[in-house]
Amino acid sequence: MSRSRKVTLTALAAILIACATGIASAWSAPFGVPHPATATSASSLTGWIFAEQAAFYRSLSGFIRASKQDGAAMRELFGISFVYGVFHAVGPGHGKAVISSYLVANEETWRRGIVLSFVSAAIQSVVAIVVVAIAAVLLGATAKAIGLTVHLVEVASYALVILIGLRLLHVKGRGFLITCRELTGRQAADLVFASASVAKGLNATTFRLSEGRPAAMAMRGAQCQIDGCAAHAHGFQCHHDHEHHESAWGHAHGPEPAVLAGPGGWRRGLAAVVAVGLRPCSGAIIVLIFALAQDLFWTGVGATLIMGLGTAATVAAIATVAVSARGLASRIARTRAGLGMLTMRAIEVGAAALIVAFGTLLLAGYMASEQLWMFTG
Amino acid sequence: MIKRTRCCCAILLLLLCVNRAQAHPHVWVTFHSEVLYAADGTMTGVRHAWTFDDMFSAYALQGISHAKKGQYTREELASLALTNVDSLKEYDYFTYARADGKKLKFADPVDYWLEYKNAALTLHFTLPLKAATPAKAMQIEIYDPSIFVDFEFAKDKPVSLSGAPQCLASYDLPHQPTPAEQARLSQLDAVPLDPSSTYGEIFANKILVKCP
Repeated sequence: MSRSRKVTLTALAAILIACATGIASAWSAPFGVPHPATATSASSLTGWIFAEQAAFYRSLSGFIRASKQDGAAMRELFGISFVYGVFHAVGPGHGKAVISSYLVANEETWRRGIVLSFVSAAIQSVVAIVVVAIAAVLLGATAKAIGLTVHLVEVASYALVILIGLRLLHVKGRGFLITCRELTGRQAADLVFASASVAKGLNATTFRLSEGRPAAMAMRGAQCQIDGCAAHAHGFQCHHDHEHHESAWGHAHGPEPAVLAGPGGWRRGLAAVVAVGLRPCSGAIIVLIFALAQDLFWTGVGATLIMGLGTAATVAAIATVAVSARGLASRIARTRAGLGMLTMRAIEVGAAALIVAFGTLLLAGYMASEQLWMFTG
Repeated sequence: MIKRTRCCCAILLLLLCVNRAQAHPHVWVTFHSEVLYAADGTMTGVRHAWTFDDMFSAYALQGISHAKKGQYTREELASLALTNVDSLKEYDYFTYARADGKKLKFADPVDYWLEYKNAALTLHFTLPLKAATPAKAMQIEIYDPSIFVDFEFAKDKPVSLSGAPQCLASYDLPHQPTPAEQARLSQLDAVPLDPSSTYGEIFANKILVKCP
């Protein structure tokens, strides 16, 4: 292993540890005292963003009011809406988290990551606009009724996120299991020891999830062995040909890249972004209703859409980083035949599990409960 | 190559951390509070006047029928006022009182109504103590433990006393969050507070009444 590889591997490990502590602290909160200690050197930055976002949000009302008489104020409003969108997306975090995890788990391209980010932000804006247009403009519903509607949509959104996560976990978990079995079949036992602790927990989940198809799994596993070691069309020779591992893991353990790129793949991706985008941002709802009260509904609609554009920009940036990190990891993994592949599988399973975790936490109301109904029932 | 990779990793790390920043608070309230005393020198309750920010006011007013555009009478707002105080019960009216260090309990609010002025809603309500209590040092704190609502003393005469000429009222502004606290605040969505946590207490608006 060259020096540069060592450096990248170390950096990657650092990221994984950072992820793990983040997840651990998110998990531990429901059971006890959260960890203020997880605050890192970025604390001043988050603090600044926190303060800026609140300031931007509070300035929106003034700009909406001013835009009634003043065209220039409207341009300013749209500008500030965009900035608020950018900051806000850096904020309450499940949308990006789910999308990024989804992209990582599914070996998506960065281009698709960007498209999906924009689609999800667009859906989020449109849902807010539709909710306010129907409930407030057409039906004249009260804040209480709108709060309840938003709440129901949220629950549906979270449930969908969990479903998508479970499906991914099922597919990826099976892939991990097969890779694991291939390795144990072919390689020395020390590798098993190394991965046993990780595999233990995951195996339990995977077995439970794929109860329905144990036979199919066994067959796949067997086929894999045969394909891999004996008679593959591409002349695969066990683990000497590293390049081949790529297609090997695509083929037995998940959808082929070609399938993912097809119309079906897009549909799957869209399901994920719809689930995420379904949940309207309470800030957008308040801005829209405020604009409506000033007889400036369309200005509010414009501001909401531009806010969405800002959100999309941030989410796309985060998604791109997530996809690049995965690409980087897979490049490194390719140099280490068996273990590398297992690591990639584990990353995918982890990403899928993360989606389920986020969905569950959200549904349980532990995260991001933006209770608009605190004062309004 | 190494440089780019390192850079990439650094950005990712940064984003992972920043990811946890969020939007608390969502509602801003500026308030006046009047501490009520009976003739015998016991404290009987607190009378609040909470003014919401203009955006939340517009949101709360959505769908409330009113005769004249841009104006709401107290009667037209009666049902919303009832909803407000009903919803606030779950949050203990964000008001926490201690008599010489001992926690006091409040009964359900009375005399509540909403007022709409200068594009902002003001909720007036009186919180009676379950039992009138004498105390040398009365401390009343107003804060949201979950920091969803930002409470701020009004600029002019935020605290007053009623019926206790011998006592002296003062108030303490909440301290500005330190960087560490700011970071914790920014994680509230990702790492939420324990339901029993009173983290917001450290940012409480404190009223102190000293009696001889």
